[in-house]
Amino acid sequence: MKLEQFSYDDEIVRKFTFATILWALVATLVGLFIALELVLPGLSAGLPFLSFGRLRPLHTNAAIFAFAGNAVFAAVYYSSQRLLKTRMFSDRLSRIHFWGWQAIIVSAALTLPFGITQSKEYAELEWPIDIAIAVVWVVFAVNFFGTIARRRERHLFVALWFYIATIVTVALLHIFNNLVVPAGLFKSYSLYGGVQDAFMQWWYGHNAVAFFLTTPFLGLMYYFLPKAAERPVFSYKLSILHFWSLVFLYIWAGPHHLHYTSLPEWASTLGMLFSVMLWMPSWGGMINGLLTLRGAWHKVAEDPVLKFFVVGITFYGMATFEGPLLSIKSVNALSHYTDWTIAHVHAGALGWNGFMAFGMLYWLAPRLFQAELWSRRLCNLHFWLGTLGMLFYIVAIYAAGVTQGLMWRAFDETGRLMYPDFIETVVRILPMYWVRVLGGAMYVTGVGLCLTNLVMTWRRRPATYAVVVQQAAALHEPSGEPEPRVIVPRYPSMVRLGYQLQFFAEAAWHRVWERKPLRLTVWVTAAVVVASLFEMIPTFLIRENIPTISSVTPYTPLEVLGRDEYVAEGCYNCHSQMVRPIRAETERYGEYSKPGEFIYDHPFQWGSRRIGPDLHRIGGKFPYLWHVKHMEDPAGVTPGSIMPRYGWMLEAPADFASLQRRIDALLMLGVPYGNLIDRAEAVAHEQARQIAREIVEQGGPPGLEDKQIVALIAYLQRLGTDLMKEPPAPQAQPPLLAAVAAPAPLEPAPQATLPVSEGEAR
Amino acid sequence: MKLSDIMSSMQLSSYAEIALLLFFGAFVAVTASVFGRRDAGEWERRRRLPLDPGEGDSGTEGTAAP
Repeated sequence: MKLEQFSYDDEIVRKFTFATILWALVATLVGLFIALELVLPGLSAGLPFLSFGRLRPLHTNAAIFAFAGNAVFAAVYYSSQRLLKTRMFSDRLSRIHFWGWQAIIVSAALTLPFGITQSKEYAELEWPIDIAIAVVWVVFAVNFFGTIARRRERHLFVALWFYIATIVTVALLHIFNNLVVPAGLFKSYSLYGGVQDAFMQWWYGHNAVAFFLTTPFLGLMYYFLPKAAERPVFSYKLSILHFWSLVFLYIWAGPHHLHYTSLPEWASTLGMLFSVMLWMPSWGGMINGLLTLRGAWHKVAEDPVLKFFVVGITFYGMATFEGPLLSIKSVNALSHYTDWTIAHVHAGALGWNGFMAFGMLYWLAPRLFQAELWSRRLCNLHFWLGTLGMLFYIVAIYAAGVTQGLMWRAFDETGRLMYPDFIETVVRILPMYWVRVLGGAMYVTGVGLCLTNLVMTWRRRPATYAVVVQQAAALHEPSGEPEPRVIVPRYPSMVRLGYQLQFFAEAAWHRVWERKPLRLTVWVTAAVVVASLFEMIPTFLIRENIPTISSVTPYTPLEVLGRDEYVAEGCYNCHSQMVRPIRAETERYGEYSKPGEFIYDHPFQWGSRRIGPDLHRIGGKFPYLWHVKHMEDPAGVTPGSIMPRYGWMLEAPADFASLQRRIDALLMLGVPYGNLIDRAEAVAHEQARQIAREIVEQGGPPGLEDKQIVALIAYLQRLGTDLMKEPPAPQAQPPLLAAVAAPAPLEPAPQATLPVSEGEAR
Repeated sequence: MKLSDIMSSMQLSSYAEIALLLFFGAFVAVTASVFGRRDAGEWERRRRLPLDPGEGDSGTEGTAAP
């Protein structure tokens, strides 16, 4: 047998390793800063780019795509070369991938704090960056599949299947959730509207968790855990089951993020059922991981790498038990919009993703830098700081979440809400937010120690890295292992069927697939696509899912401008726009939200949490001046409020100049703005002058007619009011034209007094 | 007639349930197949792949062309 010589490209792994820990520090520091902002709202100092709503997406994107993303790439580049016994397909593509990805992260850091966002959670980046992501992902895919094509090991190990599923599915999710119509270089509108946009977003959002934070980390686990423990995977059968179950089941689960919303009931139920089913394979994977340590548990006490892995896998088990639990409707009715979800995602992100990544980094460091790890003591200190920090964080935030949920739904003996002012439920949980700050600070300190340890280890590196020469036979050389196949003689059909059943029952089919990467990829893609279409087609095409409401009309141009400001400020990070059909909610906020109310919402703004109250029925509840005062100084209007000040909105000019372009883009999406061609700006100015005049009449400051605050107030006063309007008469003038012809106060008419002592909203 | 008209009139209320059964059936089939009768030693090499001595960390030190 002729052996070929080759070496691995570890330089690219070193690059991704450093990027991982650097971005981990950035992501967790930003997280710590915004956690502090919730207890010290003045921390933003009235600066727009430091406000919670703008920085929270930076935190989540940095944690997911910068920290976890670079960790995934380090794992893929290191393990794939070794499992396939070949160098990466192209060193140049590897470098393009690395620098391209870092450029994308930097561009995210340069756009999100400045309010350039699509406002879809974990998909906030605007369309030019989305295109760059797609291009870099294709580069990664070509490099990865090219490496598979040039492999010297016929058999694809389970870790590689997980990488394949990641590459294929993330591409699909990214492309289809980010379909937009641009309205400029930094502004776009989602192709989908309202309910459909919400469905697509959480199809993406949940599967970003599945295929960016779960499957590649499982690949990492299946490779690095046996390496660190020097034990084989506990059960290969279980890994097959684990893999296919996740691929088949995960893709359905997204709608559980939208229970009791305007999403069709059947989709919600389907999401719940598949989520509950996910518990089985997830725990199968966890058990497979932990049992891999059979016979090696004594090493865990000694080896910090294994400690990180054990805690990481345990958190995987906890998070994947809790996820199905939270997807059950009755549990979700309590947990949704509360901090319970935040505790859940941090158990997964800090515990599972964080600790698996740190374990891998500590295992890789001596091998990549060809020097002994600088300090095992520091490594152990990181482990304990991280573990205790996580516990402080999640226990406090679980308590905060359950407290919130119970207070929101509490009724007194007379049948009234026990805590009618939302602010009461905010003030009650602030002590827990302080504990989160403590836990977060400990976790961040651990990350800092890891960075220090890695840098100091790197400094011990040799003058030139030794390159290990590998030897292996080319794939076309006979491996000695028989090719699994069914020999079907020319027997009658029943006998033939028997042979085929035997082939299936002995899982020989899977042995074949494990040697046929193209076939494996096709089946993974088919499973994901078919499952997605099963949910999407009815959601998009059956009319009864979104009954139309005749009184619902498009936003006026000024309201569009205000809505875009709402999006830019990331208001959805704290406020939902979805009153669920639950008595505690209709008592607090008003009529529950209907699917037909959102048909012009590109993108939807339902949100996923309530640090502040729901805003869907805020329209007309307060006079214009209340909004001006509230945005200028929230705590002055609602004592105890933790909302940042938006005083600069009273001074910053509204972007009337780009309004026509925005209206034209919405027109392309089917919003009936035909009567506003070339007139959007004039119509918006007219409405702005009218609102500014009323603000002055109510005792407010003059000169706001061209400021951002007026547009935002126009939007807020419109929210949720369509349902209460009379439907237009069949031959009546279109409402937008009517607004131009005779500007009238928005309905319902604003009150004249300023209820300073009242809560932010009932 | 639009596609949404056709879809809306197709009475696809059982569509989701059928999908659920299909996918659950696939899951059961994979489980049955994987845990079915077979040679116990068949998987051994595959589960040990990361520990394969030629898998990467060992080898001859020196310089090699990429």
